[in-house]
Amino acid sequence: MPGGDSGVDVEQYDDVWVFVEQHDGEVAGVAWELLTKGRDLADQREEDLVALVMGEDLDETSIPEECIARGADRVLVADDPVFEPYRSDPYGEQFRYLVEERKPAIALIGGTHTGRDFAGRVAVPNHAGLTADCTELEMENGRYEMRRPAFGGDALATIICPDHRPQMSTVRPGVFPTAEPDDDREGEVIEVEVVVQEEETMTEVLEREVGDVADITDAEVVVAGGIGVEGDFEPLWDLAEVLGGTVAGTRDAVEEGWIEPARQVGQTGKTVRPDLYIAAGISGAIQHLEGMDDSETVIAINTDPNAPIFDNADYGIVADLHEVIPELIAYFSEDRQEVPA
Amino acid sequence: MPDEWNIVVCVKQVPDADDVSIDPETGRLNRSDAAAVLNAPDYNAVEAALELREAVGGTVTALSMGPPTAEAVLRVAVGMGADDGVLLSDPAFGGSDTWPTSLALARAADELDADVVIAGEESTDSSTGQVPPGIAAHNGWAQLTYVEGLEPAPGEDRLIAKRDVEGGYERVAADLPVVVAMGFGENKPRPAGLHRKIYAETDFEPETWTAEDLGVEDEVGLSVSPTQVGGMDTADPVPREQEVVEETDELAEQIAEVL
Amino acid sequence: MSESEMQRTGTEAPNYDDRYDAIVVGAGLAGSSAALTLARQGYDPLIIERGPSPGTKNVFGGVLYTPRIRELTDFEDAPKERYVAKKTYSMLSEEGDETSMSIAPSSWREEPHNDSWMVLRRDFDEWFAEQAVEEGATLVTETTVTDLIEENEEVVGVRTDRPDGEIRAPIVVLAEGANSLVSEGAGLKQQDSRDNVAVSVKEVRKYDRDTIEDRFHLDGQAGLAAHYFGDGAVGDAVGGGFLYTNKRTVSIGVVYSIEDAAHSDKTPDEVLEEFKQHPAVAPLVRGGRMLEYSAHAIPEGGPDSMPELVHDGAVIVGDAAGLVLNSGIHLEGTNMAVESGYHAGQAISDALENGRTDAAALASYETELRNSYVVQNLDHYGWFMDTAAAEQEFLFDDLPRALGQAGEEYFKMDDTPKEEHVSEAKQRILTATGGWFGAAKKAWKFRKMLS
Repeated sequence: MPGGDSGVDVEQYDDVWVFVEQHDGEVAGVAWELLTKGRDLADQREEDLVALVMGEDLDETSIPEECIARGADRVLVADDPVFEPYRSDPYGEQFRYLVEERKPAIALIGGTHTGRDFAGRVAVPNHAGLTADCTELEMENGRYEMRRPAFGGDALATIICPDHRPQMSTVRPGVFPTAEPDDDREGEVIEVEVVVQEEETMTEVLEREVGDVADITDAEVVVAGGIGVEGDFEPLWDLAEVLGGTVAGTRDAVEEGWIEPARQVGQTGKTVRPDLYIAAGISGAIQHLEGMDDSETVIAINTDPNAPIFDNADYGIVADLHEVIPELIAYFSEDRQEVPA
Repeated sequence: MPDEWNIVVCVKQVPDADDVSIDPETGRLNRSDAAAVLNAPDYNAVEAALELREAVGGTVTALSMGPPTAEAVLRVAVGMGADDGVLLSDPAFGGSDTWPTSLALARAADELDADVVIAGEESTDSSTGQVPPGIAAHNGWAQLTYVEGLEPAPGEDRLIAKRDVEGGYERVAADLPVVVAMGFGENKPRPAGLHRKIYAETDFEPETWTAEDLGVEDEVGLSVSPTQVGGMDTADPVPREQEVVEETDELAEQIAEVL
Repeated sequence: MSESEMQRTGTEAPNYDDRYDAIVVGAGLAGSSAALTLARQGYDPLIIERGPSPGTKNVFGGVLYTPRIRELTDFEDAPKERYVAKKTYSMLSEEGDETSMSIAPSSWREEPHNDSWMVLRRDFDEWFAEQAVEEGATLVTETTVTDLIEENEEVVGVRTDRPDGEIRAPIVVLAEGANSLVSEGAGLKQQDSRDNVAVSVKEVRKYDRDTIEDRFHLDGQAGLAAHYFGDGAVGDAVGGGFLYTNKRTVSIGVVYSIEDAAHSDKTPDEVLEEFKQHPAVAPLVRGGRMLEYSAHAIPEGGPDSMPELVHDGAVIVGDAAGLVLNSGIHLEGTNMAVESGYHAGQAISDALENGRTDAAALASYETELRNSYVVQNLDHYGWFMDTAAAEQEFLFDDLPRALGQAGEEYFKMDDTPKEEHVSEAKQRILTATGGWFGAAKKAWKFRKMLS
């Protein structure tokens, strides 16, 4: 296999690649976030930004053009029925081949159930370095540095990949912001050779049921609930509506089945950075804080005065959310002038 | 492939994620005294392996890479019902990132003639989730990640999994041999029977294999790991007002200011 | 066995019935002591502990008395906190008064430090059980014994909460602690009446070494064991408060009878809060960070409420056997647990040596125990709990207040001549005790305390 122990000649590798995940013509939001960040890295490195899209009938979509509008200099398109729906082995094999042929220096992949599934199938045969769940990506003195939480979030580890290429990073949705697309941008769309044959695949998708997925990473106001909610998220939904925001929760809330997984905020969920984050019945464990500590203003409601959330909030109240939230709803539902002083 | 399956379940010893104390000097969480336990998601992997053996027949072998003390997690798996356990232990493995780690495990799985390899979704200490895909990639095998449930199809030499995907699920069939990453909390791990637990902790002796036994002595360790830790900083907490109010009205006023 | 059974259990279906000489229920101090003693005699005990490791389910105030432990182990290697260099006894009144007495003999500062050490149970019990394992005992954790298995009225094994959870052995040692559900369930002892059981609530607060040494005037490994009585400690209840200094933490708590707890309008944690707020106590627990909060039951019944210790195929040791001494001044349970485990281990070895498991063969356990200081101390102080209950108002209400007021009067700085102050002080105490005659009666009642 290529890339022995001692690494490769890194001079031979350049450009920043971004995998643009799409399913049935719908692009995953994280791909646009990574193109924005990728553009920044490519500019710092004075190299090109290359988007990679795989699927079927992509020429009937505007995806390649949107990739350019969002910063790509080139878009590599692998178009074939073998790529729809997504499967780890054809995606892994095709991407691996392109990497081997075209030698990117850096490759960014969204940390979704798709990205984290097939990234290893690219990294391993290429003996590339793969760092998962990066929260910061920087060029420091010409060196690409990837930062990710360590020790459960207490520390930030800087990971480098000095001798192996490409330097691959997966990034969870919501970590990086998205820039507005620029329709005046120009770039090249290249249809690449498809090297995967259906007969060689090892998996078959028998059934796929996907509905609309909530995206909490765009909201300006987030009302989140944890174990303290004790099941009934109704008041949080009402408060979110009155404040013009969305509902989210901790891993506990998801595991209890009170909210859908897409609404989980935290180390193993989404990262959000709203103007206002209300944490109700949430203790404030590090794994959760990681997903929201970039929020502008944090409000905490918890019955335990010793809960760590209070140290990580701007304003808090030691009280039962089942009493406080209805009061807040009442406060914000009425005409402000009628609220007694 | 015969009708009975050789099932290998990968287990990892990690510091107890819930066992943290507060460092008196810095006031930060201190994990260094945490007890060493079996990675929580691996319980679901062991349970899935045992259920698969019940359905298809065959054997379940627990596999782990770690220092000699890691044999404790093999004992947990055997206590739950695994037939045997193998520990990959060698100073040569030290400093390995996911590339050489998954290589060693892949070679061991091959050596054990595995039809199915099941691992936990990710570990609570490094949480990369990259070892299962790595094992599959090193061996050129199929993989199934984010698995909520398994349906064996031994007649077809395939394993079908229900995969959790954003917004829903999919059912995917994979040719054997296949590597499975079991979703955290997707099944109810069985408690070890009393006599089985005593056996696992006393009479049972795991096998230990070194890097040389696997033929990977030149392909593991720090020097072969593409990624390295370039630095470690304590995460600076975001500065917060930390004001606690008495009345909901005061809270509402602060919220109003933001909106 | 059937194929499907083989598939369920793995290709091996091991069975450990009668492979162990004794099953010890609980890896606390009594259990590990019995197991260590048995192992030393060449026997194979199996210890079954419900917690994830020994000591996690144990709570105590803080002082371990160690004479037998020093004989059984290399105690220097044990994890310990501070030795008791000083003991204080304080009477607290509701109004905020404190009258106290403090003892710090220089001999305590030298080995073996009066055999009184403050330890953290989680660390100590784990180490102590390890000593038993090193001698050859087998320890299984995270397993709870739920019942005894009896055949022809002889105990032949135990049932646990695990699947395939029954296991047999010639002897069972019941070292399950104060919540002795298994012994009670098997009819080997009565459930303690509410009067005979105390509830204890304790907090462990974290400081740093310097703060503890400055605040309590300690140095090196020296530590303080402080006891508090009076209604300023636990209100109307029969009991008291305690404070022990560890290396970097302080244990503070209250102990009082469950009967009083049931009738009180305050919950145990409220009682602890009030105790912490007493002016004598508050400065000692200021600041720091709460690390642990726990509650436990302590049997207090004294010698009359001890169950039958020896049965066919089983013995009862430690707290489960009611071997706790609460005389108000002495609070001991841990050393008696170790002592009873030791004697039980010896008796079982002797019985097994003669191929016997019946109560008569195990009787030497009870005989040795009664001859040791354990039961003698209990007998001596058994009356205390009854007397204390009867004299509750005097002991825990009137007297502390009187002493407080008397103290105030005695030490009052004003222009009145000293003799008048002294006379006032005396008067206050006499009023509380019911005059000279009443005082004499009370002194007679409590004479045993000083003997």
